[in-house]
Amino acid sequence: MPVKDDLPLPTLRDMLASAHLRLIMFAVLLATASLVLSGGLVIRNYAQRNLELVGRTVAYTVEPAVLFGDREAIRQGIVSVAAGRGIERVEVRDSAGQLLAEWQNPQQGALATLSRAANPVFWPNPAVDQVHRGEDHIAEVRIYGNSEGILRYGLAGTIIALACLGLTVIATRILARQLQSEVVRPLEHVAEVAHAVRRDRAFERRVPASGIAEIDRFGRDFNALLAELQGWHAGLTSENRELAWRASHDGLTGLGNRQMFETTLCGAIDHARRDGSALAVLYLDIDRFKAINDDHGHASGDAALVAVGERLRAAIRQNDLAFRLGGDEFAVLLAPTSGRDQAGMVVERIRQEMAQPFRLPSGVHIAARLSAGVAIFPEDGESGDALLRKADARMYRDKRRDLGSGVFVNA
Amino acid sequence: MLKRLCLALVLLTSSALMTAPGRAMPLAVMADIPLGPAIPGESRYAGAVVRTVRGMIEYTRWPQRNDPLVLCVAGPTQHAGQIGSIRLSDGRRVDRRNVNATPGALGGCHILYLGNLAIALQRQLTEAVRGRGVLTIAEADPSNAAEAMFAFTYKPNGLSFRLNVDAVSRSGLRVDPRVLRLSQGGA
Repeated sequence: MPVKDDLPLPTLRDMLASAHLRLIMFAVLLATASLVLSGGLVIRNYAQRNLELVGRTVAYTVEPAVLFGDREAIRQGIVSVAAGRGIERVEVRDSAGQLLAEWQNPQQGALATLSRAANPVFWPNPAVDQVHRGEDHIAEVRIYGNSEGILRYGLAGTIIALACLGLTVIATRILARQLQSEVVRPLEHVAEVAHAVRRDRAFERRVPASGIAEIDRFGRDFNALLAELQGWHAGLTSENRELAWRASHDGLTGLGNRQMFETTLCGAIDHARRDGSALAVLYLDIDRFKAINDDHGHASGDAALVAVGERLRAAIRQNDLAFRLGGDEFAVLLAPTSGRDQAGMVVERIRQEMAQPFRLPSGVHIAARLSAGVAIFPEDGESGDALLRKADARMYRDKRRDLGSGVFVNA
Repeated sequence: MLKRLCLALVLLTSSALMTAPGRAMPLAVMADIPLGPAIPGESRYAGAVVRTVRGMIEYTRWPQRNDPLVLCVAGPTQHAGQIGSIRLSDGRRVDRRNVNATPGALGGCHILYLGNLAIALQRQLTEAVRGRGVLTIAEADPSNAAEAMFAFTYKPNGLSFRLNVDAVSRSGLRVDPRVLRLSQGGA
């Protein structure tokens, strides 16, 4: 299967990691945002109450100084109370609205600048408190808030959120690795088995059980499919073998057929020519086979052919090969380096085997005689055809003698 | 934040109350009280003096509530010309009464304003009213040698006063700690 190298597909681990990352990032950001927002609101509320309290305290503190008309004392009273974080500016005005004293937060720096820029947003209105002496209203105190505390909180929240996100990325990687080993490994088992089946025809391989229900189900189905494939494969193989056997063998007797004989003879001649050795071929047919057919029926002819096949097989030696060439014609290819003597011995044994009567389907026992001719390579011919013709001719000569007085094995 | 504020208040109060009796430690002085517009024929400090006296009375608490309060002026004065009848913010009235500069003439006084008298006589008068619930103010004793509770000091552009913590603590009166703190703040 061709694999596109230019655009690599994402692995499951990558997908898991990115999905986790997005999910957890979303969760962390959501939690941080809501926490910072609600915390900011709470702090803002406390700061508002603080402003009001500072206003009350300033009003209380500066009251005598206002009554005495001592501005310096008013200013110092403000400083003693208000000089802390969270207050940007304090003003004390008399009942006519004239400024008696003021104090401004002296803080400098980036945060203070930022805080000043943010003050109108967080503290659009000052906290106001009135200074009374008895019935008389003698002054008004205005406290302007400072957003530095809120900004600090927001900054800390952001830093914590970023730190959490960093941790999240690491945790995501670890989680993805664990999930990969749990999910991907069973899948890899399946892939490995599929590959082995395809490459090595290892139909006996099976996917091991995994700990995940879906993959387990998939694995079971896959294994069932493999079992079916294995069955089909075995069926096909044996069918092929049978077909091949049928193509080269005679269905009735189980001996090799003419085609197989010719192929085998060809190979044997080549072999003998290379080795410079001898080779012997027997050509046989059944005497009066036509009469058996006519007298006892075709089923009896078939039975005679089967009997001849069996006896041939019994008579020949281990490395000799018997064939049915067609009709009542048989051939035997003797084992390599067999000469005329061995051929005579084999023919003699065949005759002995054939001397025993065999039973026909009708219940009659008869004995049949085989006529035989021998051809020797290379004396009687260099080719298979020549050898076969020679053997055939000698077989007919044998048949003509007909008296069964012996085998004519030589010209 | 809240806690810190409360703490500041407590410190404020306690520092005022830590003025232990028996320690002759006159405390100076709050800063300038503006003089205000000058009135022809009057001392240029007169306006500031009457305002300051009123403030001192406002922040002083007597064991019993008296209405009206009697302000006795002893001896000749330079800056008390505008002190007449004063109305306090809670509605009480302060009546001026000129008295002789003798210890026997001080009965019924709630406030003793000491005019331009010899220091020894002033001391005699403050000792006579000590512990009897009389607020003492010295017009002409800038170093507060006579140990009045308040002693005016005069600056070119304003009026100041010294507060004698020892005298306050032995007077039998309560002075608002914020006034004590005012004098501390000016120190």
